[in-house]
Amino acid sequence: MYNLFQRLGSITSLAMSMFMALLILISATTPFIPSNPTHEVTLHDVKTTTGRMVDPADRTSRSAEYARLTFDLDADLTSMFNWNTKLLFAYITADFESPGFDTNRIVVWDRIIRNTRQAKLRLRKNHNKYFLRNYAKTFENVRNANLTLHINPVPYLGIMYDKSVATIPLDIPRPERRASGA
Amino acid sequence: MELLSQAKKWGVRSLLIQGLTFLSVLTSAFMIWKGLSLFTNSESPVVVVLSGSMKPAYDRGDILFLHNGFSPIEVGEVVVYKLNEKPIPIVHRVMKVHTENESGKQYLLTKGDNNSADDRGLYNPGQTWIQRDEIIGRVKGFVPYAGMGTIWMNDYPYLKTVLLGTLCVMSLFGSD
Repeated sequence: MYNLFQRLGSITSLAMSMFMALLILISATTPFIPSNPTHEVTLHDVKTTTGRMVDPADRTSRSAEYARLTFDLDADLTSMFNWNTKLLFAYITADFESPGFDTNRIVVWDRIIRNTRQAKLRLRKNHNKYFLRNYAKTFENVRNANLTLHINPVPYLGIMYDKSVATIPLDIPRPERRASGA
Repeated sequence: MELLSQAKKWGVRSLLIQGLTFLSVLTSAFMIWKGLSLFTNSESPVVVVLSGSMKPAYDRGDILFLHNGFSPIEVGEVVVYKLNEKPIPIVHRVMKVHTENESGKQYLLTKGDNNSADDRGLYNPGQTWIQRDEIIGRVKGFVPYAGMGTIWMNDYPYLKTVLLGTLCVMSLFGSD
């Protein structure tokens, strides 16, 4: 036990074991840190249009129906920031059922929140960031539509937990087919 | 050569035993890897992030632990997928999920957080959705920067030979 290499070796192996133990402890305890976020989503309007070429990678998009939402969002997510939170990923999904398809879930808006300054969200009359269309070309016979807010915290280290820490189901029936055109 | 005289001193049996120990270490490491692959139903349960397309959540050099399982993919999950004809795995988030009633077949669309467009430009020509079997796993845990070694070895291949060389030299002269 007097050789330099042996000393380095035993220090390294001790460091590795301690790192493993730390990793396990951090991963196991981070999901249990309490938080109480507040959030409220209000939907103002939904418009459905067709006849726009929107997606260059999808040839069916020219004649498909696209819905455009207008919503407000109020949220205070500052309590979700603990020492092991790298960022929060907030996203709103539109979920619905359609003929032939049990679940359809589409992210319509997302935002990365990096610190507590950005964690107080106050959105007014925002539109969906991403195109909202059914797998089929129309929204006809779509049932049980709602809008859900999910918050996904990404830790600095450890396991990903609680994919949707705070979901507010918002049962807003989407109007089936409005006038096509504008 | 000092190596040959040392070898003769030890005797054939002890050399064989050393060889066997070495082999059993290798094979148990392999068994653990394959066992983990079976448990997670993933062909590669530990991956290193290669691109910056998921910044700021995951950066180059992060190690991701994946678990695939058999359940359907949920929207918002970060998944690693490999297209059927391309060899590179990609870590992105699932933005759209359409699940069929009877077959349970899923149509998935992914997008990197740091990209402005979705991944349709990355898919195979004519492919607008990816399927469940192209997903290698969902990200369940991660360790930042721990995979930088792999990135360096990919970017500078001579590092691999240098590392192997040092290991060989150390193992030959290290047993005193």
